[in-house]
Amino acid sequence: MVDDQEEPPLAIRIDQTVEEPSQSDQEKHQNDYVSVGVTVITGYLGAGKSTLVNYILNAQHGKRIAVILNEFGEEIGVERAMINEGESGALVEEWVELANGCVCCTVKHSLVQALEQLVQMKKKLDHILLETTGLANPAPLASVLWLDDQLESSVKLDSIVTVVDAKNLRFQLNRHCDSSSFPEAFLQIAFADVVILNKVDLVSQEQSECALEELENEIHSINSLANIIRSIRCEVDLSQILNRQAYDATHATHLEALLEESKSLSSRDLHDSGVCTLCINQMEAVDLHKVRLWIEEILWDKKYGMDVYRCKGVLRVGNSDQLHTLQAVREIYEIVPTRQWRNEERQMNRIVFIGHNLDENILIDTFRGCI
Amino acid sequence: MAGGSDAAETLSCARCSNPASLQCPKCVELKLPREGAAFCTQDCFKASWSSHKSVHLKAKLSSLGTDGAGGQNSDLASEGWLYCLRKGQSRTPKLPPFNWTGSLRPYPISVKRNVPAHIDKPDWANDGVPKVELNSDWQHRVEIKTPDQIERMRETCRIAREVLDAAARMIRPGVTTDEIDRVVHEATVAAGAYPSPLNYHFFPKSCCTSVNEVICHGIPDARKLEDGDIINVDVTVYYKGVHGDLNETYFVGNVDEASCKLVQCTYECLDKAISIVKPGVRFRDVGEVINRHASMSGLSVVKSYCGHGIGELFHCAPNIPHYGRNKAVGVMKAGQTFTIEPMINAGVWRDQMWPDGWTAVTADGKRSAQFEHTLLVTETGVEVLTARLPSSPDVFPWLNK
Repeated sequence: MVDDQEEPPLAIRIDQTVEEPSQSDQEKHQNDYVSVGVTVITGYLGAGKSTLVNYILNAQHGKRIAVILNEFGEEIGVERAMINEGESGALVEEWVELANGCVCCTVKHSLVQALEQLVQMKKKLDHILLETTGLANPAPLASVLWLDDQLESSVKLDSIVTVVDAKNLRFQLNRHCDSSSFPEAFLQIAFADVVILNKVDLVSQEQSECALEELENEIHSINSLANIIRSIRCEVDLSQILNRQAYDATHATHLEALLEESKSLSSRDLHDSGVCTLCINQMEAVDLHKVRLWIEEILWDKKYGMDVYRCKGVLRVGNSDQLHTLQAVREIYEIVPTRQWRNEERQMNRIVFIGHNLDENILIDTFRGCI
Repeated sequence: MAGGSDAAETLSCARCSNPASLQCPKCVELKLPREGAAFCTQDCFKASWSSHKSVHLKAKLSSLGTDGAGGQNSDLASEGWLYCLRKGQSRTPKLPPFNWTGSLRPYPISVKRNVPAHIDKPDWANDGVPKVELNSDWQHRVEIKTPDQIERMRETCRIAREVLDAAARMIRPGVTTDEIDRVVHEATVAAGAYPSPLNYHFFPKSCCTSVNEVICHGIPDARKLEDGDIINVDVTVYYKGVHGDLNETYFVGNVDEASCKLVQCTYECLDKAISIVKPGVRFRDVGEVINRHASMSGLSVVKSYCGHGIGELFHCAPNIPHYGRNKAVGVMKAGQTFTIEPMINAGVWRDQMWPDGWTAVTADGKRSAQFEHTLLVTETGVEVLTARLPSSPDVFPWLNK
């Protein structure tokens, strides 16, 4: 290291923004933060998860996508992740050592910290896919990844995509477990934002359209909010998988789907499993404090014995011109003002519940108490 | 970078005291404080250059692992004092490279202190991994403590308070944070307790000492406290199978007004948060209260670290964020024990991690303060298990008013 100069340099103005002479990875200027979407890919072994991943990596879409393959098993933890980066078709495989985040008194789970490290290491990542092997229930993962906006994290949960196998789905849904746990397929569909109905070419030729429609109805009877995409070998339009912003309260398209009055969102026939979708409507404006207490009794206290997996809704709040959205994954929920009601819109409350042991009457009656 | 608080500063020329609008580019490059590096004209700057440039040399030497006094740190290395890396799993003789956010630097740390065999230890004392805690169901549900557990916690928290008070009495310029750690370690062991931080996820010392821009988890080392510093000492002890956790921020000698305000505001944030604790209150409301009070004083709230459940486990559910608009789940119930420990910054809220894998510092190098208590929710309100005692040292001027 050279000693200080003999000649003094020129002093610089104090109100000039301090620019780092060397661009470092530890960026301090994070006011306009951009976050990378994380898509959780789940589904039965053999349904085509790997096919989907490979398709996404190989398709010529010009995006830098990192895929993390991780054995979750019992614990959600990432020590080493295999990163497959597809860029214009070139597949780069590398193992990445992710420093084990401390779990003590940190707000962000070590998985989130690991993903943030990844984003920092690999500049200009457009998306992250989290391919889950051995994870039957995506809910804990969703809880960990659904961060508070306040944290301004460089990663955010984009959506949960479930790949199901058109040929075997019916069999998987009809399986009856002796234990109290459901066949994985129910949970994976219940928590999905997008369901890829794969291997449609393997469904018997003669009745294929009918059979496929039936399958879609079955899927919707478990989760009426999921967007179903049919595919062969998981060749899907990527814009329907990536950047769904399913957990972004301000995102418009999800609201439109909820507000569409003609659409019936409640399950037609209840499954044997009891996992279904219910939709309740109410025209009169509600009190926000009462709604919070109401939803907390259901989600936190498990009042009435209902087990709610997902919840999405729009609320008409008294003394407010703002449409509020409600969103919940297991016990984590938030209610946020989203946008102004439009003049042509019919202001109302509409909430969709996906879960087990749901009772429509109780939900309607108790929600009425929020007026 | 948001420069809101900078704009309020009026700097004086280091040479002639006129208002300064220029700064030394080398100081900017080395991230040295602006005070003392500001000048009113190029002429004043040129004229000061020969004496001013020694500041750069001093900074460069200290980043090489030796200080201005000539190799103190290499002496320490020969006695086994080394810099900490990888969360405490390894050591290095040279100061690791890093884009330091402020003027503080790590110093070498001393060799590991022993805990006598007769003292009951948590499972990480042995191999650094808190296995029981990581696998416990209490990471997902909040425990209601039994009367027996509560009584043990009262006792343990009382010991933790007395240990912290002993550390507080050490605070003065010239004392190293390592010496403070020694006092904490010895006081803890003398009480028959184990210092919980020791070897927790490999943490190398018995308490955390966080100076100036360090937000939390600072590692005690060979650095001497300087007049004008602020320092947080965070103590947790393990006794009769339960933990007690508390921390306070202290003044070293004479401290500037901004630091005074920062520390007092942080104290008040904790105080206000505690005042809302009672059965039925949502955990998420704690962050609202803290955020409101800090914002009103123009200060920011650290978001990466939170309050936590405590008992037979060091850290467990609930997670209690200190910032507003969080999605924390659940309401308080009688019999729950947890900490609230707001970290408040003079500048931006963002934090960064030093190469040692523990020390969290403010992203802009400005100061941070913290206070913490272990609390018990009672039927009607709250009991502060780690509360100050009549014997606690009188170090907070606002408490006397």
